[in-house]
Amino acid sequence: MTTKRSRRRRSAVPYLFIAPFLVIFAAFGVYPMGFALQLSFTNWHGAGILKFTGLRNYRYLLTSPDFWGSLANSGIVWLLVVPVQVIVALAIAVVLMNSRFKGAFSAALIAPFVTPLVAMAQVWIIMFDTDFGAVNHVLGAVGLPPVGWLTTVAWAKPTVALLVLWRTTGYAVVLLMAGLQSIPPQVYEAAKLDGASAWRQFWSITLPLAMRTVSFVVVIGTLTVFQLFAEPYVLTRGAPFNSTRTAGLYLYNHITNSDLGLGAANSFLLVLMVFALSLASVRLLRPREGT
Amino acid sequence: MTRIARRTFLRGVGAAGGALALGACAPGAATDDNPLTASSSGAELAGEITIWDRTGDLYKVFDAAIASFTAKHPKVKVNHQAVDVNAKLPSTLISGADVPDGAFYDDALVTGIAPHLHDLTDLTAPYKKDIAPVKLGVATVGGKVVAVPWDLDPGLLFYREDVLQGAGVDPAGITTYDQLLAAAHKIKEKNPNARPIHLENDQFLAQLWVDMFVSQQGGAMADADGKLTLDSAPYRTVLTWLDRVRGEGVGTLAKYTQPTDLATLEDGTQSLVPWAQWFSFAPQSLLKTSKGKWKAMPLPAWTAGGPRSGVMGGSSFVIPAKAKNPQLAWALYEHMTFTSEGYSTVYGANSTYPGGLNTSVPSYLPALDPAKPLFQPIEAMGGQDLWKVATEAGKSIPGGYRIPVWWGKAVDYFGVNLQKLLAGQMNVDDVLKQSAAAIQKNLIDAQ
Amino acid sequence: MITLGRIGRYGFLLLVAAVSLFPLMWMVLSAFKPGGDVIARPFAFDFDQLSWTNFREMGHTIPIGIGLRNTMIVVLVKGALTLLCCPMAGYAFAKFDFAFKRVLFGTVLTTLMLPTLVLLIPLLLEMSELGWVNTFPALILPGAVDAFGVFWMRQIIAEIPDELLDAARVDGAGELRIFRSIVLPVIRPGLAALGVLTFINIYNDFVWPVVAVNDTDHQTLQVMLSGLARAAVVGQLGDAASAWGQLLAASTVAAVPVLIVFVLLQRHLIRGVMAGSVKG
Repeated sequence: MTTKRSRRRRSAVPYLFIAPFLVIFAAFGVYPMGFALQLSFTNWHGAGILKFTGLRNYRYLLTSPDFWGSLANSGIVWLLVVPVQVIVALAIAVVLMNSRFKGAFSAALIAPFVTPLVAMAQVWIIMFDTDFGAVNHVLGAVGLPPVGWLTTVAWAKPTVALLVLWRTTGYAVVLLMAGLQSIPPQVYEAAKLDGASAWRQFWSITLPLAMRTVSFVVVIGTLTVFQLFAEPYVLTRGAPFNSTRTAGLYLYNHITNSDLGLGAANSFLLVLMVFALSLASVRLLRPREGT
Repeated sequence: MTRIARRTFLRGVGAAGGALALGACAPGAATDDNPLTASSSGAELAGEITIWDRTGDLYKVFDAAIASFTAKHPKVKVNHQAVDVNAKLPSTLISGADVPDGAFYDDALVTGIAPHLHDLTDLTAPYKKDIAPVKLGVATVGGKVVAVPWDLDPGLLFYREDVLQGAGVDPAGITTYDQLLAAAHKIKEKNPNARPIHLENDQFLAQLWVDMFVSQQGGAMADADGKLTLDSAPYRTVLTWLDRVRGEGVGTLAKYTQPTDLATLEDGTQSLVPWAQWFSFAPQSLLKTSKGKWKAMPLPAWTAGGPRSGVMGGSSFVIPAKAKNPQLAWALYEHMTFTSEGYSTVYGANSTYPGGLNTSVPSYLPALDPAKPLFQPIEAMGGQDLWKVATEAGKSIPGGYRIPVWWGKAVDYFGVNLQKLLAGQMNVDDVLKQSAAAIQKNLIDAQ
Repeated sequence: MITLGRIGRYGFLLLVAAVSLFPLMWMVLSAFKPGGDVIARPFAFDFDQLSWTNFREMGHTIPIGIGLRNTMIVVLVKGALTLLCCPMAGYAFAKFDFAFKRVLFGTVLTTLMLPTLVLLIPLLLEMSELGWVNTFPALILPGAVDAFGVFWMRQIIAEIPDELLDAARVDGAGELRIFRSIVLPVIRPGLAALGVLTFINIYNDFVWPVVAVNDTDHQTLQVMLSGLARAAVVGQLGDAASAWGQLLAASTVAAVPVLIVFVLLQRHLIRGVMAGSVKG
C-alpha cells in the first residue's frame, strides 16, 4: 500500500500547503488534547485545582470489569455493524453507480442524516416493542414467537447495531461512490470486451481497486462504533443490565458525571484500542495480489 | 496503514504529550465560603441578570412569572434564555465563562454542581420553617443550602376507578402496602389477565421510583455525612414488597410511557400505579380510552398510620457562585417561589396551561392550602381535584431524604440490579449487598 | 430492455430508498399530529386531524429563523475553511516529505481516534481564556480542520500518479498551479464527497455547539432542537407531549435546507461513471 517515494522534495512548498491547517489544528486540536492528556493523570471533577494522581485512573479502568465490559459490548456491536456496513454499502454503491436516477436514490440515502436521532430512536422503540411493536407483529403473522428486542440481553445489541447501521450506511455509500469513481472506465471496457460478466467484473476489478476506500470506510466505521454514545443512550441508556453500555456510553457517563480525569484516561485508552483494531482490520483487508 | 503508521502514531501521542506543557492549568476557583447576603436594603432593585430555563412550555410559564417581577421592578432587565440546562450548566460552571445569574436544575443533579453554587443559607433562613422538609434536605449540601427549592413532586397512588369498582375494591380501604397487594389480587380474581401494579422497567426512573418509597419512610441512599445507607431497612422493605409483586404475578413491568406501558394502562391490565404527581400527564395527554377513568389518592403507608407520600423527582433554582448579579437573581427567585403572586403566576391558569400547571405543587408550605387551589380540577381525571390530594400528600412527606453526589452514577449498580430483581433474576439480599459493595468501591472510595 | 437483472437492481434500490426514507416520512407526517398522539398512537394517521399546530407553537418557542441564520453562517465559514485547508494539507502529506511529517500525521491520527466528548471541557476552558464563549469563532474554529478531512484527502490524493505531477514540474509549472490545475480536478469527486459530508456534519453538530453558545443570537438550529429534545424525553414537567410535537415540526423545517443542498450538490457528487462504461 505504499505510494512511490519519488517526491523527495525538500523545500518550503509543503510547509506552505500545510500551514493553514497546522495553525488551526495546533490551536484547537492539539492544545485541548494536551490538556485532556494532562487531566487523565488527575482526579479533577471540575472544581478546585488539578491534583496529580499519576496512573491511578488508568489502573482503575484497566482493572474495572465495567470498562472491559463496555469494550466487549462495543466489540460485539463492531462485529455487527462494520462488516455488514461494508458489504451493504458496497452493494448499494456499485448498483447505484450503474443505474439511472442516481440523484433521487442518493437523496433518499441522505434521509437518515437529516432525521434527528431522538425521532429515529422513537421509531425504533415503537417498532421493536416486545408486545406491541410492528416487528413482532410481523413475526407473529408468520408464526414465530415475539422477541424481546430491547428488553433481552441477547437482542438489545443487535437492535442498537441496526439503528447504527441505518444511520451511518449512507455515509459509507457516499465515500465508496467517490472511491469507485476513481476506477478508470477503460478497465471495465477491456474486461467487457474480454467477455467478463458483471459479477466477475466486480470481483476482479471493482473490489481490488476499491479496497483502499473500503479500508478507509472500515477505519471510519471502527472509530464511529467505539465513540458511539448517542444511539445506545437514547434507545436503552445501556439497558438491559448494561448490556448495551458501549465504550462510548461508558465514557459519556464519566464526562456527564464530571469525572473528568477518569473520562480523559478512558478516552486515551480508547484511542489505543481503536487504533489497534483499525490496524488489524486494514491488514486483514490488504489485497493479496498486487494491483 | 503500515508498520510506519504505528511509529507515526506513537510519535503523535508523544507530540500530544509535548503539548501537555501547553495545556492550561484549570481555573482553580474555590467557591466563596461566605453565604450570600441580601443587597443593601431600601435601594430600588435595578440591574441586569441572565436566567436559564429549560426550553419548552415551562419556559413560557416562567417567562410570565418573570414578567410579573419586572412589572414591580421596572429597572430590572432579565435576559431569559431557553437552553438545555442539563447539558450546559456543568460545563459552563466549570469553565466559569458567561455564567448565568440563575438557572433551573434537577434536584438529583444539584449535589453534583454544589461546589460552584452560592451558599443561600442566610437568604433562605426566614423561609426555612415554611419549606417542605424533604425539599430542604435535598437542597442542602454539606450543611449549606445551595438551591432555591421550587416544586414538590409528591408520590400518589393512581388507580383506575372503573377497574377497582368492577372488582369490588374500595380505594379508601387501601391504607397499607399489604392492602395494596391484596387489592391487586382481588382485581386479578375478577380479570385473570390483569397485572395491576406498575413496575418500572427504566433503570434510571426505577431508582428514582424506589427512592419515592424510601423517602416515604424517611430513608435515603446516604446519610448526612455521606455514608452509604443503601443496605438498610427502608430499602429492604421496599425491595421485598416489589419482589412479592413480581413473584405473585400482579405486576406489569414496563417503561413509563412506552408502548407496552400505554397499552396496558388503557386496556386495564395495569390499574394501580404508585408514581409521582406528574403521572397525571398520561391521562391528560397520552391516554384515550381510559381518559377520565384515572384518579389519584395518597400512597398507602408502610406501617399503619405512617406517612402517605414520598418524593419522586423535582427541580430547583440555583445561583452560581460566579454570577455577576446574584442578589438580583435571588430577588427574582424569592418572588417566584415565596410570594403568592409569584407562585400563583407559575401554577395558575395561563395561555400555556389553561387549567394551570398540575404536574407538581410548590414546595413552599403556605402555598399548599387545600382550600385555595392553584390549578383547576382535571377533566382527564374525571374532574378530580388533584390539588387537594397532592397538597395533603405533599405535607405528609417526612424529612430525612437526601441525594448523594454520586446518586446518578449509582444507577449503573443499584439501578441495574434493581432491574434484575424485577426480572426475577436476583434476590433482595444480593441486590442490596452487591450494589452497596459496588457503590462503596467505585463511587465513594475511588473519589 | 427490461431484464431480470434490471428489475432486481431497481428493486434493490427501491427497497434501500424506502428503508432509508421511512423514519423521515414518519417524522414529517407526525409533525402534523398532536404530540401526545405521536407518543401514544405513533402509527395512526387520521388525515382529518392533521394540523399546523405544532409548527405554530414551535415558532413561539424557538426563533427558528435566527437559528437557521446562525447555522448558515457557521456552515459556510467553517465549511469553507475545511474545504480550503484539508485538500492542501492532504496534498502535503500525500506527496511531500517534510520535517515532523510523521509526528504530525500521528497526531492527526490520534485526534481522529480521540472521542470528541473528552475535549468539551478543555475546549470550553480555552474559549473562556480567549473570551470566545458564546461567539461565532467558538462555533467555527474548533473542528474547522477535521482530522477526517485531512485523512480522506490524503487518501485520495495519494492515488494521483506522481508522474503526472513531475511532468508538470518539468514543464515549469509552479506548485500552486499544479495543485489547482492537476490535483483539484482529479480529486473532484472525493472533494465533493468531503463537501457534502462536511456540510452535513457541521449542520447536524450539536454536542459542542450546545456547550459553546448560550443565547439565541448564537444558537444554531441543532442547539435549539436539542433543547426541545430534552423537554421531550424528560417526563417530569408535563410538557413532553407538546415538546415532541414541536421537535418534530422543527426537525422537519430543519431538514429542508440539507435536502435542498444535497440535491443541488449530488450532480457533482455522483458524476456518473464516464460515458461508455458499464450501463444498466
